[in-house]
Amino acid sequence: MSRKVCIVGGATTPFDYGPTGFENIEGGAADCIRETREEIPEFSMRDLDLMIYSHFSVHFGHQLCSEWIVHDHLGLVGVPHYRVENGGNTGGSALYAAALAVMSGHHDVVGVVGWETMDSVSQSQGSEFIALASDIRYELLVGGIYPIYYAAMANKWMKDNNVSEEDVATIGAKNRNNAMDNPKAQWYRNEHKYITTEDVMNSRLISYPIKKYDCCLMSRGVAFTLVCSEEYAKKINPDGYVTIDGMGLSSCTIRAGDRLNFPGWTERYGKGYPEMTEFGACRNAADQAYKMAGIENPRKEIDFGEIHDAFSTSEAQIYKALYLADENNIAQFLRDESTHMHGEIPMNPGGGLMGYGHPVGATGLMSTIECFYQLSDLIPKKHLSKKTEVPDAKCGIVNSHAGTGTSISNFILRRC
Amino acid sequence: MSGETITRKKKKFTEEPNFTERKTYRPKDVKETGLAFIGHEISEDGKAMNQFLHYDQLYTIRHGQNSKFFIGLLDGKLWGTRCPKCGDTWVPVRTHCWNLDCNLEKTEWVEMPLTAKIHTWTIAGWSGRSSLKRLPIVLVYAVIGNSKVAIANELHGIDPWDVEFGMPLKIIFKPKEERHGIVTDFHFEPTDDWEPTPITEEKERIKQLVEPVYQWVKTLK
Repeated sequence: MSRKVCIVGGATTPFDYGPTGFENIEGGAADCIRETREEIPEFSMRDLDLMIYSHFSVHFGHQLCSEWIVHDHLGLVGVPHYRVENGGNTGGSALYAAALAVMSGHHDVVGVVGWETMDSVSQSQGSEFIALASDIRYELLVGGIYPIYYAAMANKWMKDNNVSEEDVATIGAKNRNNAMDNPKAQWYRNEHKYITTEDVMNSRLISYPIKKYDCCLMSRGVAFTLVCSEEYAKKINPDGYVTIDGMGLSSCTIRAGDRLNFPGWTERYGKGYPEMTEFGACRNAADQAYKMAGIENPRKEIDFGEIHDAFSTSEAQIYKALYLADENNIAQFLRDESTHMHGEIPMNPGGGLMGYGHPVGATGLMSTIECFYQLSDLIPKKHLSKKTEVPDAKCGIVNSHAGTGTSISNFILRRC
Repeated sequence: MSGETITRKKKKFTEEPNFTERKTYRPKDVKETGLAFIGHEISEDGKAMNQFLHYDQLYTIRHGQNSKFFIGLLDGKLWGTRCPKCGDTWVPVRTHCWNLDCNLEKTEWVEMPLTAKIHTWTIAGWSGRSSLKRLPIVLVYAVIGNSKVAIANELHGIDPWDVEFGMPLKIIFKPKEERHGIVTDFHFEPTDDWEPTPITEEKERIKQLVEPVYQWVKTLK
């Protein structure tokens, strides 16, 4: 039987774009660990026996192996280290790697540091750099950047599921408004206003049906998560640790157009799945995570989630992939505001990618950290109020998502 | 893409493709100076510094076994590939079958018809730096012939709000002298017998969203 994996702490730098004064990643990493130690002062840098670094694109920093700079700065010379890169699911994949390391029994205390420095180039160049993760021979040249691929997928999905532009726009407003309770969030630090569904509807066209406020933010930011064995967790944070009870990682095609008839998906989920509309890798990763955590009815057994809202449309698509709703009731599920703070299963109380920000390599860790805060009663301390606290939360889901749904991981976290 | 033709014949022990006609495609403004720190700025309070790093580089994308597809584009032809074992056909091409039971069978080249059908679509009002001036772009994923997959490309010759699911398309190549062996050598257009359907609420909504994009593009230099 493999060992239980726990999370005992974590923190991020503020997520932002442009000058902030904390731009150097190694300094940011050190600050995240210092903040983590405020809750768990017994944790010593000497305890770390593996470091996993979570960083997406060298293009943003023009520094190969920037993890080596961070590692040296943290004084961890001699501790094993490597970098995980898996597109937008880099953070989730790094967490997966850390969990495997602990599960195997080979490592006890694993630090995961993630970052991205997307403000080192212009926004439009940044979009094009990210689009280098699409198949450049076929997709980049045709004006393709990710919002466009997602819009094409969402347009059909919305038609097939009777979901309207307004239905998904509620998500764009929800996550930004949640971020207004979170001082580290980019939306709080910059635009700093509450918005309505109408504001989302009136924002500029990015790619129909996606508009500006349906899109996540480009960000600079660093995050740190401390993953360990239960034995260590009981020693260092006996009352506040969280267990990773389930996890799953799966994959789908790089080009969305390739998944109309992919033979492997038909085998798993029936003919025609996942089409260009469903996130097959998300469903498959959820199946793995739910099975491992013994979850049979996710909508009832999961209290909240921190999920990869790169676009408001994709957050809605993720609800369906996670079995929170199906084609018959997804529109009503959205109209009932089921995932707002007052709904039955709040999603992205921390603000998500649209509110908190999306510095790619740090993003999945940010979601994990927000989920950890909810489950260890730290929200009133970390956010500005209890408005974005999920009362009595015992079980949360973390979702990290890459490409056009090309790599997706899900984690089930439970309070100790 | 201009410059003088250079002749190069590198002697190799093994039999490899030899490129004897290679042009110097490097645009004049690509300097390839390597990494250079070219300046800095300091915040008013004197506490934060930004430095500017410049990097320009011409890359060689070597198409190898996929080359026939891209050479085909220069000739105004669309090549797909077909698995001789399971019979599946694809464009974009796969040089080996991905059906796990075919154990990476080598595929054969088949010429595809220049007709397609829209699987899904979007209208881009924002894009990467190199595409901004072409906005709004109608981008469609369309299935060419009996391909098992859809390919992304632009749809021209239509008002953006008139695009629809399942619409029949023809494939139009650029004039020969303007082709570069890249996917933008062709685009989609509605078939000659296609007529737009009457205006709907959704079409009005799209018009409203697209209008500011037309205005914004006019302001670009």
